[in-house]
Amino acid sequence: MTDLTHTDAAVTDQEKSLAHKVLVKILAQGFDRAAARVSADELHELQAENGEINLLRTNFETEVGLVGIADSKRASLSINQVDDAALEAAVSDLQGMAAGSQQDPAFDIAPTQPAAAFHGGIDEPDYDAMYDRIEDLQRYVSATYPTLNLRSSGITYFKRRSCFVNSNGVEFLTSRGLYQVSISFSSRLGSKTSSMMYTGYNTLELDTPIQQSSNIDLLMRQSTEQVDTQHIPEKFVGDMVITPDCLMTFVGFLTARISDGPLVSGTSMYMGKLDEQVTSPLLTLHSKPLSDELCGGYWVTGDGYQAADSTVIDKGVLKTYLLGLYGANKTGLPRAISSGGSYIAEPGSSTFDEMVAGVKEGILITRFSGGRPNDRGDFSGIAKNSYYIKDGKVQFPIKETTVSGNMVDLLNSVDAVSTERLNTGSSLLPWVRVTGVTAS
Amino acid sequence: MRINEIDLKKYSNQFASYTELRLHENRSQNISLLNGDVVSNTRDASGGVSARVYDQGAWGFCSNPDMGNEAIETTIGAATRNAAFLAKRVGQADASLPRANAEANSDFTSGKPTLSQESKIALLRELDTYIVGNCPEVVSRQVALNCLDMEKKLHTSEGSYGHNTNTRSIIGIKLTTRNNQDEPIELSEAIGHRGQFEDVFTSAEPMFAKIDALYLQLLDKKEAVKAVSGYVDVILASDLAGILAHEAIGHTTEGDIVRAGSVAADYLNQSVANELVTLVDFAHTHNGETLPVPVYLDDEGVASQDAVIIDKGVLKSYMHNKESAQYFDMPLTGNARAFNYTDEPLVRMRNTAILPGESSLDDMIASIDNGYLLMRPTNGQADSTSEFMFGVQMGYEIKQGKLGRAISDTTISGVAFDMLKEVTMLSDEMVWSCAGMCGKKQPMPVGMGGPAVKTKVHIGGE
Repeated sequence: MTDLTHTDAAVTDQEKSLAHKVLVKILAQGFDRAAARVSADELHELQAENGEINLLRTNFETEVGLVGIADSKRASLSINQVDDAALEAAVSDLQGMAAGSQQDPAFDIAPTQPAAAFHGGIDEPDYDAMYDRIEDLQRYVSATYPTLNLRSSGITYFKRRSCFVNSNGVEFLTSRGLYQVSISFSSRLGSKTSSMMYTGYNTLELDTPIQQSSNIDLLMRQSTEQVDTQHIPEKFVGDMVITPDCLMTFVGFLTARISDGPLVSGTSMYMGKLDEQVTSPLLTLHSKPLSDELCGGYWVTGDGYQAADSTVIDKGVLKTYLLGLYGANKTGLPRAISSGGSYIAEPGSSTFDEMVAGVKEGILITRFSGGRPNDRGDFSGIAKNSYYIKDGKVQFPIKETTVSGNMVDLLNSVDAVSTERLNTGSSLLPWVRVTGVTAS
Repeated sequence: MRINEIDLKKYSNQFASYTELRLHENRSQNISLLNGDVVSNTRDASGGVSARVYDQGAWGFCSNPDMGNEAIETTIGAATRNAAFLAKRVGQADASLPRANAEANSDFTSGKPTLSQESKIALLRELDTYIVGNCPEVVSRQVALNCLDMEKKLHTSEGSYGHNTNTRSIIGIKLTTRNNQDEPIELSEAIGHRGQFEDVFTSAEPMFAKIDALYLQLLDKKEAVKAVSGYVDVILASDLAGILAHEAIGHTTEGDIVRAGSVAADYLNQSVANELVTLVDFAHTHNGETLPVPVYLDDEGVASQDAVIIDKGVLKSYMHNKESAQYFDMPLTGNARAFNYTDEPLVRMRNTAILPGESSLDDMIASIDNGYLLMRPTNGQADSTSEFMFGVQMGYEIKQGKLGRAISDTTISGVAFDMLKEVTMLSDEMVWSCAGMCGKKQPMPVGMGGPAVKTKVHIGGE
């Protein structure tokens, strides 16, 4: 926890005052439990398209979220107009929405907790630094990768001040500002075009050139190679080395299925699996919204609890579901102490090169473009910006290659995790090797 | 202050260079029933003013939720300063954009009194009760309502003006059963209509037949086999044609994507498809029918025109905003749309469709010895290489011209212009979808349509 700076404290007082005002109005409407969240956002974005800086954006946004529970009937509403007439209309609508709904004893709000204030990140955008970094990236690309088209590149400074209060006396003030860097690109040589790639990272400083941050330079270099793609020789069942860029596409199947919807509906493949082995023992995954290793976490959960770090998978064993308050009450299972996200996976014992060297036949996958997996975990999709591996060596970039398998089986098949990890500011993840994937 | 009470034209004297001034509010509603319990009961309203200013080739943008007089003036001023900041550094004195001066107004809100939350929940509950009573093998069910009203008032420095409100209501139904291995097997349906709830969901009964069909297919899917992966003959049912048009061809021919390197840049006025294929991005109307997402005036103040992308197999044009139309020296099409008041307009599809042919679906199935009938799309994605993919949640084998076993969820993919050349039959039906939400940087409601298509694609599986 960090004290709010004087400036931020003064400004956040506006959100605090409005949040309490809204809370009083909700309770006055006849609700027996209520919560209000007021957020004030500030966004400054410098954007370039096709290698030309072409847009400077300044956005301001206010959002007021209202939750009311009356006679065990719940409604929620959000607005961004904050004049008295808009607030009166909102609480009146909230009352009508709840009255027309249905009772459910699982609806509740967070219990009393000590009031707290949190502040992180940077307070003001540096336009000159934003401009210099984008211009610097363009110069670097022109000189180093002349066939690469920077379709879009942008730096956004985003700051949110927020106040959450509820009728149990909870009051959290938060304030955080950070830079979000995003780029998308493809390469073109003659009539040959590579697949589009997009990536990004969060950061608190702009001293480091974009091309030296995260794995941006590697992805750009690979893009220029990927104008010359080949089909895989023939259909095979083999290994897949998953880069950190798309690891959450696969691990995300598990984290989504251990949250409210699938568990409440009873359709999750991970029902009844708490404290059981659900993945390979090589996988350990934390949700660490408070970690100093990341810069885009959070201090308060969506339900209004002070967030804490947790271990989701410990050596393959499922240690927590990611249930919110409603899901926990509805299922009788424990509420998660984080809202998920901010994922950090423990490194393994193999280097990336050793992982590839151990592949007889497989795919190095950087982007997965596929249909949503079904509840059972079956998946299929195209391996984009990816490579064919044969006899321990990366051979060539591939095209039109479909990979398919089952998410539950895939996560159990992990046989190597890299020592190297990629930090994007919002996650810290390794390369992971899995087996038994069909490529065609 | 409500949007209809604000006169935008009075700010004309504050436009220092080309300016788009937009008031914009999105109003959405979600009610979800999970196994009969109301688990979501929410509404959101997000609106404000935005100004986008063009100065010597550079754009300045500013938005503010406050739509009061002072805030509007401040927003115009900030956007103008942002453009000037960039113009000083990267400005090109001779930069200009195609001009447009148009006016269009439309309002698809209901004239009926707004129904109470209780009435809407009652209709959803009626559907839920029908499922319980008529679908005995369903072990989990979800019934959800999602409504979106998008109101925009636009005034540009070139004199364009419009006040347009689009509305859309969707009921989503997801049924889950369990197979012999006790694994969950699910199937979902989205019933979407242009219009507000009060106009389009007056009764639950017309949706019962859709639930019956969904349930019967779910029972087939319980016994489903996995598709055999490979490059195969397929019939894409008419409910898939829209996403095919959108993902496979539409994105590849958006002007900004073409400019960024899409392969479509190489094929203008060339044959890219079987001559059976004509593909159009309709602005608002087709055959006298108002389409799912009618756009009369885009967010750059351009009167929306139909964009004929492929005419009898030949690639004829792209979809444009002002910048891409200028870059390619093509007519404006009015495809620039922004999702939220905080967003700048991008090149977006409106109602993208493959026009129908003359074959019957039965004849199309009978023409395949070994392949698949695919139906019920999920998500999709396109690429600058024109390689597309989309998920399919229902399908059947075709063996010797007859439907066989159901197949489980799969993903199909292909290279758009290769796939279009393999089209050999189009059915005589035309099915429109009003449930699509495109995700190109910003979300955006889109309409999609077409007939059943016989072609070849890659299919994922064993």
